[in-house]
Amino acid sequence: MPETLITHTLDNGLRLLIREIHTAPIASCWIWYGVGFRNEVPGKTGLSHWVEHMQFKGTAQRSASWMDHAVARLGGHWNAFTSPDWTTYFETLPASALETALALEADRMRGSLFDPAEVETERTVILSEREGLENDPLFLLNEAVQLRAYQHHPYRGEVIGAKEDLLALTREDLYGHYQNYYQPANALLCLAGDIEPRRALDLVQKFFGGIQGSPFNKHQPAPEEDLPEFERVDLRGPGDTTFIEIAWRAPKGNSEEFFAFTILESLLTGPSSLNMFGSGGISNRTSRLYLALVEKELAVSVNGSLNASIDPGTFSINLTKHPARSVDQLLAALDREIKKIQSKPIALAEIDRAVKQAKALFAYGSDNITNHGFWMGYANSFADYSWFTEYVQRLAAVSPEQVTNIARKYLRPDARVIGVYTPNGEEARDA
Amino acid sequence: MPESLFSTAKLPGSDDITRKQFGNGAILLTRPNNSSPAVSIRGYLPPGSAAEPPEKYGLVNFLASMLTAGTRRRTFRELHNEIESMGASLSIGAGGLATSFAAQCLREDLPRMLEIMKEVFSEPSFPAKQFQRIKTQILTIIAIQAQDTAAMADQAFDRAIYRAHPYAIPELGFPETVQMISREDLEAFHQRYMGPKGLVAAISGGIQPAEALDAFERTLGTWVNIDQQAQPELPPVEPLTGIIREHVTLQEKSQTDLVMGTFAPKTTGPDFLPAQLGNEILGQFGMMGRIGEAVREKAGLAYYAQSELGMGLGPITWQVVAGVNPNNVDKAIALIRKELSRFTTELVTEEELADVRSAVVGRLPLSLESNAGIASALLNLERYKHSLDYIRELPTRIAAVTREDILRVAQTYWQLDNMVIASAGVALS
Repeated sequence: MPETLITHTLDNGLRLLIREIHTAPIASCWIWYGVGFRNEVPGKTGLSHWVEHMQFKGTAQRSASWMDHAVARLGGHWNAFTSPDWTTYFETLPASALETALALEADRMRGSLFDPAEVETERTVILSEREGLENDPLFLLNEAVQLRAYQHHPYRGEVIGAKEDLLALTREDLYGHYQNYYQPANALLCLAGDIEPRRALDLVQKFFGGIQGSPFNKHQPAPEEDLPEFERVDLRGPGDTTFIEIAWRAPKGNSEEFFAFTILESLLTGPSSLNMFGSGGISNRTSRLYLALVEKELAVSVNGSLNASIDPGTFSINLTKHPARSVDQLLAALDREIKKIQSKPIALAEIDRAVKQAKALFAYGSDNITNHGFWMGYANSFADYSWFTEYVQRLAAVSPEQVTNIARKYLRPDARVIGVYTPNGEEARDA
Repeated sequence: MPESLFSTAKLPGSDDITRKQFGNGAILLTRPNNSSPAVSIRGYLPPGSAAEPPEKYGLVNFLASMLTAGTRRRTFRELHNEIESMGASLSIGAGGLATSFAAQCLREDLPRMLEIMKEVFSEPSFPAKQFQRIKTQILTIIAIQAQDTAAMADQAFDRAIYRAHPYAIPELGFPETVQMISREDLEAFHQRYMGPKGLVAAISGGIQPAEALDAFERTLGTWVNIDQQAQPELPPVEPLTGIIREHVTLQEKSQTDLVMGTFAPKTTGPDFLPAQLGNEILGQFGMMGRIGEAVREKAGLAYYAQSELGMGLGPITWQVVAGVNPNNVDKAIALIRKELSRFTTELVTEEELADVRSAVVGRLPLSLESNAGIASALLNLERYKHSLDYIRELPTRIAAVTREDILRVAQTYWQLDNMVIASAGVALS
């Protein structure tokens, strides 16, 4: 597979990355804007996500249905995602139709209408999306835990925004956010697939070269390096199952510590995948916490979650409690395992295994062109593309001592948030 | 037509798919993908949950989970250490007519992976400790599902439409039937039904057909179960008469999930392709087709609202699903019924038909870019008895579907006075 990466910056500041991959007659076009809920302020949460929805509602040149049908009739698919740090839009379609995607993205970079009636229709759609999330106890638990994991940083919120903010945001709020952040100099265009770079560069220049940017203000929150004092949050709700989420502070994505933390996560809760599309994952049945908690019938399931982010994020462990055990029993067993990884030597073979798993996961994801477009932009959102290309190599360079040190530094019992969702009617047996 | 945007000769066909039936009855289809360092395996084998006795509903799902709980040669931990150390994965799940499996590994590990799969399918040991643990896991999943509005609406729909048919039963079973299942039940059921006759596998990835055939022949190709019996035949379903309205009340839910539907044409029958194109127009194309346009884009009633056409060898369904605010359930039902009425009384437009023809054909390269996508497509060729050139012939078949075909099929299968409407959420006002 060719590894050549073409980089270019247009006069208006738009950065461009092109990666040729000729395994299938497909191209994937991704545009990344450096805005997410990290850039939102209290009272205006959910703006980035709502703007993302409005980007599908049409421009002066193209109606919503025209855009939608233009991609769909090619057999392509398109979508968008809003994260804490970024908002991204993509189209994957036959390579010979790349022009359609570029024209569309260039048009909606500055030309979306934000029709007031459409804003109101979308308000109820987003409230409905939030209501769907609220049906899930794990969403409610995560929302409660994240809120306590930061004192002021926007990462304490959820992408979709607080309900009261969604009810109060105006068309002017949305359009102002869009006008400010959707600028060529705040964007990265990533093209991957069966592409001829010279032609692609010409097309990018044709569609994006004439877009004039303007100065923009980027709200940059102060990072929160430390978790607030130990907190426990208890939720109650319907059902028969107790869920627990424990969150610790994690290093930012663009740091050496992040790679050691990735190995730590793999050892504790199994390997996580950077693949956004298809390919599945690897089970975690021989991870330390599965063996100690699920095999020993203290929990029914265990999962970990670590994301690379601009500012220090959180590492979370989610547990589904075994019905015959108590929350305290489960947490005590978890603490014993964490203490073990902090105090006993880690075998190099365990790290080698985690590295092989990471390598395999990349192999599974690499046959999907859309993943390549995603990886280029994702890595650039908090670091640069070498973060991705050197990922496995940097994992392989992690020593057992580094993992021990990371565990000692971050997984402290006095610097975490514990969230417990207890079913209504069940006794709160634990302190 | 996007067909002109790519060559159909690049799609899987008889000149690059290898199919072989082995002496024990197992069938393998394989197609190389030389650029890939990995391999994907997809497949199915008997039994399916439709073969379960009523007092032991959930037996096949339990069996599928227990297959990877340990074998006569390896404990649970040894087995998973072997799989996970390769960076591989193996998952097995229950379906109505078969047990399905999916695996992936690096190409050099394929022979080892197939050995493990043979061991898992033919020599499970059903260890007592894992039996109890997995039973608790299944009961917990059932408890979690019981609070899931989408899962509960689905189950209510299945109960109402399938009635006495085995498809009315959720594959996980019920708490009381799962509690009744013993290790001995699993062993006996495994011995009676699980075997190489009816096993179909597809392998795609960075491996040549000769190597894949050889590795398969040495492993699953040698599996023998002299006790294997055929599964009982599926009974017929009773036709729908009237509107059946079901609601499952769940406390403290912000959203209500809604499923409306009827029986679908047979996947292997002549009505399926017109139904597939019609379904695209009804609730898939672009932002969820006409249903999405009416319920989400214009009325703002739902985050998702779309139609779904089932595929399978048993009796399958054609549904419209949506997630709506509890106060908007009736409004959403009315809007969906209005769209169904239009769908069953008016010809789709020339433009709509051209759009979806183009979309379905244009989607082929995308759906077949990954090893897993190719393996799934090969499996479907065998499942539905299509020729090896079926995928290449699809553009021509799709071009032959007319607006009149779609209307006829819509009228045959969607009757507004005969349908199931199921929902789950807070109590209906």
